[in-house]
Amino acid sequence: MSNYAIETDQLTKRFGDVLAVDHVNLRVKRGEIYGFLGLNGAGKTTTIRALLGMIRPSEGNVKVLDQAVGPNGRGPWAQVGHLVESPSAYPELSVRENLDVARTLHGIRDSTATTRVIEQLALVSYADRKAGTLSTGNLQRLGLARALLHAPALLILDEPANGLDPAGVVEIRELLRTLAHEKGVTVFMSSHILTEVDQLATRIGIIHKGQLIEELDTEKLAGLRANRLEIKTRNNEAAQISLQSAGYKFALKDDTIVIDSDYAIEHPDDVARILVNAGNPPIRLAVEQENLEDHFMKLTGDGK
Amino acid sequence: MNGFLSALRVEILKVYRSKVLPFTAVGFSLIPLAGGLFLIILKDPEAAKSMGLISTKAQITVGVADWPAFFNLLAGAVAAGGIILFSIIPIWIFGREFSEHTVKELLSLPTSREAIVSAKFLVTAIWTLALTLFLFGVGLVVGRLVVIPGWSTELLRAAFSDIMLGAVLTLATMPFVAFFASLGRGYLLPFGWTFFTVFLAQIAARLGWGDWFPWSVPALFSGMAGPRAEIIGLHSYIILILTGLLGLGATLYWWRSADQTR
Repeated sequence: MSNYAIETDQLTKRFGDVLAVDHVNLRVKRGEIYGFLGLNGAGKTTTIRALLGMIRPSEGNVKVLDQAVGPNGRGPWAQVGHLVESPSAYPELSVRENLDVARTLHGIRDSTATTRVIEQLALVSYADRKAGTLSTGNLQRLGLARALLHAPALLILDEPANGLDPAGVVEIRELLRTLAHEKGVTVFMSSHILTEVDQLATRIGIIHKGQLIEELDTEKLAGLRANRLEIKTRNNEAAQISLQSAGYKFALKDDTIVIDSDYAIEHPDDVARILVNAGNPPIRLAVEQENLEDHFMKLTGDGK
Repeated sequence: MNGFLSALRVEILKVYRSKVLPFTAVGFSLIPLAGGLFLIILKDPEAAKSMGLISTKAQITVGVADWPAFFNLLAGAVAAGGIILFSIIPIWIFGREFSEHTVKELLSLPTSREAIVSAKFLVTAIWTLALTLFLFGVGLVVGRLVVIPGWSTELLRAAFSDIMLGAVLTLATMPFVAFFASLGRGYLLPFGWTFFTVFLAQIAARLGWGDWFPWSVPALFSGMAGPRAEIIGLHSYIILILTGLLGLGATLYWWRSADQTR
């Protein structure tokens, strides 16, 4: 058994002249929550459909839970739960019947599995309601319940927070975190909502124009989330000498001196005093945090 | 086949809960009911004359008010009209999965796509034959109520086998309807295909090539274009069966291989 729940090798998908996914190499470790970020049309859903064997790659290979995802619907689907794009259900069937349909097709005879996910996704009061009468949020819950019905080892979720109210978003986030941490479920979730991914994912992949342009592991994410002191003076060279002699380590980014030591962040007044005493007072001194959003916008060219 | 019985159970549940099932039953019951109305008109020629057009229509459609003519009407409706009427079933069974975007829930499952498609075809067949039985039953009740002559057990047996066989022949044209519902990912293309084949069937029959054109065979079998034995032969049945198998294969292949982006 490999360490990876998902592996793609040069995954490429073309629709006519449109290159939707461009030689993507994904490695998602077992037990991690992988956030797949991208703008609308970046290639997230196409990648997910390829992972689930719904579309055939133009080039490259896909492996899910050590099994090649091949044509003809071959794959380890008994161990994979999924939610793709907008939620859908048979409108004439009740919530319970929709879940029973999925349960039957998964070959699960025990009907308590349906009851379990109905309770887990807070659908008890809607269980006997026809799916056609559900709100978008509850349809999304039904979709998530269907994904969890067979207690899968891997969840592939496309925009799982879509249509949920703020409380629902928090609830689903906690549910996914619990599944990953307590049950070792691997979660691969796509989103264009950065805060959602930022709060949940242990690793993030950014897809832009079909290409996986960056992967941020736990360390890089922690770095992104960390504070830093940014300083600008009229004479940055003199300021660097003053700070160096005071024992501060720093980096220079464009025309800004960046210090990431905890002491400097907690005592910016000390840094200011050193520069003032050196006759080179700061014209800007601020504790900043580059968040995922800034980073994402920078990478994707401000989203254009 | 992996999970066929599971898929069958699911398809039966979906049909059982749908509004399309009673809709088709009501639709099909209109055929013997309309036939019954024509019988009433034909039984009373004086009243028929005073009714103008409808009596002419009744004479063309049923001819005389007796059981053989009435059974002929039902057989013709099933075999010829069935190409349009029965097509509603595969169009709904296959097309709805795309128009309601539920197809994505049927693709990455331990139950194979072959099992799902086969179950859909079996349910199409069961539904079609059940509707034919229903039509036949309503026809018997209508004929009894109108009280028409010419009844015999032999006639009943012959009419039953003709009507059911006509339905089976029509059923053989349905796989291509399912294929176009899948290919077109919805309802429009298969309806277009159905009307196109009916149109071509008329032309083929008029040109005398109906025995070679699969979509003309059920109507020719029903005797709508004259005595069946003179027109269609073994080659007609073989072509029809091959068409059905080709449609089945094409639909299965499409579900296995096509990109599913709905």
